[in-house]
Amino acid sequence: MSFDATLNLTGEVATIELKGELDASTAPRFHDLIEDAAGAGALRLDIHVSRLSYLSSAGLRSLVFARQKMGDEVRISVVGATEPVSRTIRLAGFDHSIDLIDA
Amino acid sequence: MSQTQTETRADTPPEPRQTRTKVLLLDEHHRVPPELMKALNGLDADVRVRTPAELLAAAAGASGETEVVLASARLSPSTVKAVTRRLVEEGQNPTVVAFAEHELHLLGGHIRAGSDYLVPPFYPELVRARLRNCHERAAFSRTLEDVTAHAELLSYERELEIGREIQGGFLPDTLPQFDGWEIDVRFRPARTVAGDFYDVFELVNRRRLALVVADVCDKGVGAALFMALIRSLLRHTAEQSGLQNLIAADLLGEASVWEEHSRAIPVVGATPLLNAVVGTNNYLTRNHIRQGYFATMFFGVLDPVTGNLVYINGGHNPPVLVGSDGSDPVFLEPTGPAVGVMPDVTFSLGYAQISPGDTLFIYTDGVTEARAESGGFFGEEAMVEQLTAAAGRGEELLDHMDGVLDEFVGAAEQSDDITMMTVHWRAPEPDPAT
Repeated sequence: MSFDATLNLTGEVATIELKGELDASTAPRFHDLIEDAAGAGALRLDIHVSRLSYLSSAGLRSLVFARQKMGDEVRISVVGATEPVSRTIRLAGFDHSIDLIDA
Repeated sequence: MSQTQTETRADTPPEPRQTRTKVLLLDEHHRVPPELMKALNGLDADVRVRTPAELLAAAAGASGETEVVLASARLSPSTVKAVTRRLVEEGQNPTVVAFAEHELHLLGGHIRAGSDYLVPPFYPELVRARLRNCHERAAFSRTLEDVTAHAELLSYERELEIGREIQGGFLPDTLPQFDGWEIDVRFRPARTVAGDFYDVFELVNRRRLALVVADVCDKGVGAALFMALIRSLLRHTAEQSGLQNLIAADLLGEASVWEEHSRAIPVVGATPLLNAVVGTNNYLTRNHIRQGYFATMFFGVLDPVTGNLVYINGGHNPPVLVGSDGSDPVFLEPTGPAVGVMPDVTFSLGYAQISPGDTLFIYTDGVTEARAESGGFFGEEAMVEQLTAAAGRGEELLDHMDGVLDEFVGAAEQSDDITMMTVHWRAPEPDPAT
């Protein structure tokens, strides 16, 4: 069960790409990148998840964490979610506080 | 100069040992006195040669296991200290030995900084003896650490066990009994303490039955603390608001309300339900939003006389209503988001009708996200298939689902809490249909 997360900062846009499975064991690495992005003062956070195959409830918690760390004025988008991942986000109703965007 | 050229390696084959001594050789220019390298090669040691910069630049955890740091005396003691600190941060406990080929005066600072030392001639026997000392010392300190860690673990386990017992007190001791209804629960935490919970309790003088299945995000102790809080808020609020509402319902004349509303709005159940869920969401978002815990939950209020069910599904896996007549199962989809994330959010009420013979299956994602050894998920489709195909209801159905899940998961570790609740209205006794 692999996981990989990378952060790219371009001006005011932070882009995080997630690959593999985001769950309780891999979420801390995602959290580190969110903190880096928040620390760099990014005004927009795009989370690319087209290669994320699984998002557990602990992974959902990471999205709440991102919302809190980045602040309310930062736009957070989840880009290119696969069906299982977007279903998990929609089921919990998180598509109201985070934009779900097709890749 | 040293006289190591005279050493005869063939005479001193390395002794068989269980482990090879892991040596990290530090020098600014990857320079190692040839005699020292020769001696090390003849011994049973794994030697890596690095500059301090290379080691400090390595990713965390990538510096490799090290029992002995052989540091060139030309390096400053503070540089050696920085490298050692890095290794200690990674959980290692190396012995530091400074070596000098010519500039023996440089050893003073290293010795004052607490290092051991090695000087020419680098005879294999001398080097071997020094390394063996280091190896044994490292092994000893590892044993000591293991013992300490084990003792700590035992005390944590005791505390967790206490946590588990206390958490048990936040689950109902027994489930209320209603004529004609079978309510059964299966609760399987993945760890000692759980984030899942369920609750069944009577409302408004046994006229309604509250059914709750919830999943606090994440696992372990943090989730367990929030489980206790959320369960208490839900139950307390529902029980407190039930009484006022009974009066209101009686004033309105409950029967006429049922008839007037084609959507069959059960006034008696709706207010405690809304108060409980909305109140809990407000409380959590007001007081605990920084901690980032939330719960998905299904909270239903059942009228055991009519089978009418009013519910809120807060971002939870849709419970499945399975009919006795082979009709398609009905999914009780979310009527609002997970509880505890968004302030001032709207929760709508959902309605369902349970008929005699029907079974409502309420569960947490530990069921659908159960994983086989291959990594595959059990999934909603397989779950519904099993539910509709299974012959038994109530306890038998839970046994069946338990068995199916066990078989699917196989030798893999249970990754998440599993909770399943069945609410079955027994078909009337003379039942020629089945």
